[in-house]
Amino acid sequence: MVDVSSTVMDLPRRDARDKLRGRTRYTNDRARPDTLHAVLLRSTVPAGRITRLDVSAALECPGVHAIVTGADAPGLHGIGIADHPLFATDTIRYHGEPIACIAAETEAEAKAALAAIVLDVEPLNPVLTMAEALAPGAPLIHEDWRAYEVLTEGGARDGNIAWEAKSVRGDVDAAFARSDVTIVESSIAVGRQSHVPFEPRVAIGSWENGRAHIETSTQVPWTVRNVTGRVLQLPPGRVRVTVPPVGGGFGLKFDATIEPITALLARMTGRSVILENSRQEEMATCLCRENAEIRIRSAVTAEGEIVGREAVVLMDCGAYGGEQVFLTTMTSHTLGGSYRLGAVRLVSRAVYTNTPPNGAFRACNGVYNSFALERHTDEICAAIGMDPIEFRKRNVLGNGDLGPTGQVFEGDVLGPMLERMDTLRANTGTLEHAADGRLYGRATALGTWFIFVGPSAATINLNADGSATLVTSGVEIGSGTMMQSLPQIVAGQLGLHPDQIVVREADTDAAGLDAGIGGGRTTVSIGAASVGAAAEVREKLLRTAGEMLQTAPKDLVLRDGRVEISGRPGSGAAISTVVAHAQATTGPISGTGSFTAKNTPAMAGCAMGHFIDALDIPVFVVHEAEVAVDPDTGHVDVLAYRVVQDVGRALNPRAIMGQIQGGVVQGLGYALHEEVTITGDGRIAQDGFETYRVPLAQDVVPVVADLYEGAPSMGPLGTKGAGEVPILAVGSAIACAVSNAIGKPVYRLPLTPPRVLRLIHDIEPRPDYPHIAPNWTDNTLR
Amino acid sequence: MTVTLRINGSACRFHGDPMTPLVDVLRRERFLTGTKAVCREGFCGACTVEVDGEAVMSCLRPIGLLDGATVKSIEALAPGDTALHPLQAAFEAADVVQCGMCFPGMVMSLAPFLRENPDAGRNEIKAAMVGNICRCTGYERIVDAVMNFLDSQKMEQANG
Ligand code: FES
Ligand code: FES
Repeated sequence: MVDVSSTVMDLPRRDARDKLRGRTRYTNDRARPDTLHAVLLRSTVPAGRITRLDVSAALECPGVHAIVTGADAPGLHGIGIADHPLFATDTIRYHGEPIACIAAETEAEAKAALAAIVLDVEPLNPVLTMAEALAPGAPLIHEDWRAYEVLTEGGARDGNIAWEAKSVRGDVDAAFARSDVTIVESSIAVGRQSHVPFEPRVAIGSWENGRAHIETSTQVPWTVRNVTGRVLQLPPGRVRVTVPPVGGGFGLKFDATIEPITALLARMTGRSVILENSRQEEMATCLCRENAEIRIRSAVTAEGEIVGREAVVLMDCGAYGGEQVFLTTMTSHTLGGSYRLGAVRLVSRAVYTNTPPNGAFRACNGVYNSFALERHTDEICAAIGMDPIEFRKRNVLGNGDLGPTGQVFEGDVLGPMLERMDTLRANTGTLEHAADGRLYGRATALGTWFIFVGPSAATINLNADGSATLVTSGVEIGSGTMMQSLPQIVAGQLGLHPDQIVVREADTDAAGLDAGIGGGRTTVSIGAASVGAAAEVREKLLRTAGEMLQTAPKDLVLRDGRVEISGRPGSGAAISTVVAHAQATTGPISGTGSFTAKNTPAMAGCAMGHFIDALDIPVFVVHEAEVAVDPDTGHVDVLAYRVVQDVGRALNPRAIMGQIQGGVVQGLGYALHEEVTITGDGRIAQDGFETYRVPLAQDVVPVVADLYEGAPSMGPLGTKGAGEVPILAVGSAIACAVSNAIGKPVYRLPLTPPRVLRLIHDIEPRPDYPHIAPNWTDNTLR
Repeated sequence: MTVTLRINGSACRFHGDPMTPLVDVLRRERFLTGTKAVCREGFCGACTVEVDGEAVMSCLRPIGLLDGATVKSIEALAPGDTALHPLQAAFEAADVVQCGMCFPGMVMSLAPFLRENPDAGRNEIKAAMVGNICRCTGYERIVDAVMNFLDSQKMEQANG
């Protein structure tokens, strides 16, 4: 039984005090005096061939204990395809790629020894853009792409196309050929976004009893374990990963990166070794939200029915496939989601370039696909002369409607959420007067994303003092899930107070498999596994109590730390007494639970190369922005921001509000001023706080949010993850509002003042994609 | 070079490169890791400590300039088992902490500012926060908590 009435709401965070006192020890606070310091030799060209690498002189430098290179770690890892070595060996594929790593007594000694490494590189012509990568006869970034091990079947691949996913439903050609439709086409471009977590990627490796032990700032302990096993060619069971509190992730730490290097160095030296990216390295090799190029076309009737839609999305994965391979899947669900569509075909290609690899960033490609979709939607409205909110209300997916892959959506959610936005706006009022002579714009945008489900495991041990220990592979990355939702959920199930639930930090030796912390999955997946574990504990507890109290277990309830006879408060026995009895008679009480995706069906043959064919738990948002644009400077001032967010059920409304404020502000940075550009020699130009401008206190406004509860969810107590999606529709809401303010279409983010000025004066070049064929089918591989 | 200074009440002698930034002395020599080195360029404020009563960014302060100075880091604000500083308590009460890495610096720079500006309004607080970046929270709720803190300080004073 899953009952929310016994769940404590708005639980304070148990980690806040230590964090405020500066006592929390993040991974990069854990170097001890005897820890060796490691420093990477990184490539200074974007493409090249290594003709000589000699570390013997560096090994003789003062303080140096060991040096590792690609020869020490021959295995390849990746998502979908194993294309990624730990170190560049023969071929250099991006500027900043690790080539060797030195461990020395101090960081200064390790750095000094870098100069003694002999490295000869024959530079090659780099392929820096997707247009270049897709040009006929382009150099292959992975010459051996055919030989790579395929880890997930189904994706089409070819040369510089690391992965292609597509979905096709209905007869799109027939829809576009209809005589009663208007055809609207939009081309959209976005650059990268850098996460800038306050704690960079950092790991401490040790070698203990013949096994690697890696302490690391990660969102994915099991991925680190498995990747380390692969690249070191060890059984993954010989790798243990533990995770201290993480100083921010936002998706950047959803991949294994430098961790295996520390294990290698620890094995060689017998010492603990810390490897921490400097801020410059962190930003120069950030696994950014990828840059992308999108062309989308729709055939729409005068009444506003979308009878056909097609799109091509090119995603730059950088030098290695990584998350973009997986994320090709999400193009269908985001660009093809939200609205009812007649026929639809979408293709998404992850394209290799000689640039730093990209990765996952909060709501990933959902953010720019929503931007493309919502700007396109407003262009449709302009073309057919319909009010944009009215158009959305008519066309959003409702109960029983088909998604792009033929999934049947449950429940009317987006429609009522749009109504709730009307109410919210009526309550807050609008701020047109605050524009004060500047150009005013307002826009409402919506978006669909998903809860990334996948496997989780949980164990609960009930202790003789009435407390319970929850053991999972969950990690506290800052969102508070491990500190709030999980103890709340478990306590609610066991009649305990959340303070009595001890939550164990992730340790792959202690807890079962987990897909990681991200994609809004923690509350849902680890929460569901924890509910399963609690059910077993409860059953054992009631059985023992039943014997003690001579009462049938079905007549017993768990409440306030007691096993009571139902309807008789204060009766029965304290849980601690029952646990002590069990320990003496049948043995300690523990339980396990597990969870994984339910694999919601899609229509056969609709989705090709997809990692997930349908969304088990879709999540929806409606955002609204009001902006004032200074026509002389192009500066965009956000006047007000409103959110209606589908949360399933809110266990911690206060914490969700905190996630919404934080996520929207990251989105404002993306929409307005966080800009990553690639230099002519393949570097990320913005590699520090001076050049990469994240939002400051004076840039932001209080976000007003309404939490929409009650949409269907398979999460425990009806929850959905709430931390991932607040960023989803910010780019779109701001872009649509700015477009309304200046009366010109917006095709690119971020909307920096110079770009806005160029838009106002009609001198901002429109995205032009000669490498995207006019005929959709010519953009697909088979 | 040898530098003698007081850190969190104890005398401390540093031998080494006078250009070593204070943040590294705190973190690497004294294991006072509450002071965070996030950007090392004076942009983020996570490394803020008090030097002779003034909030400074410890990543920009070479130890060689601190002979005879008195340094107070976040660990000394509410040491041991003592109650949180009321500003820390306000942050805890409002549930504003997320990853937490910016907060030691946020507290160390706002505490002296608010001591000197007890009547600060929202805009002044935001202006005072320009040197403290937070990537997680989106700021507004931090400002709310600071306003709560100032209100309760005023109430306390009024109640004498
Ligand atoms: S580390 Fe000193 S200001 Fe950022
Ligand atoms: S709470 Fe993470 S940087 Fe502020």
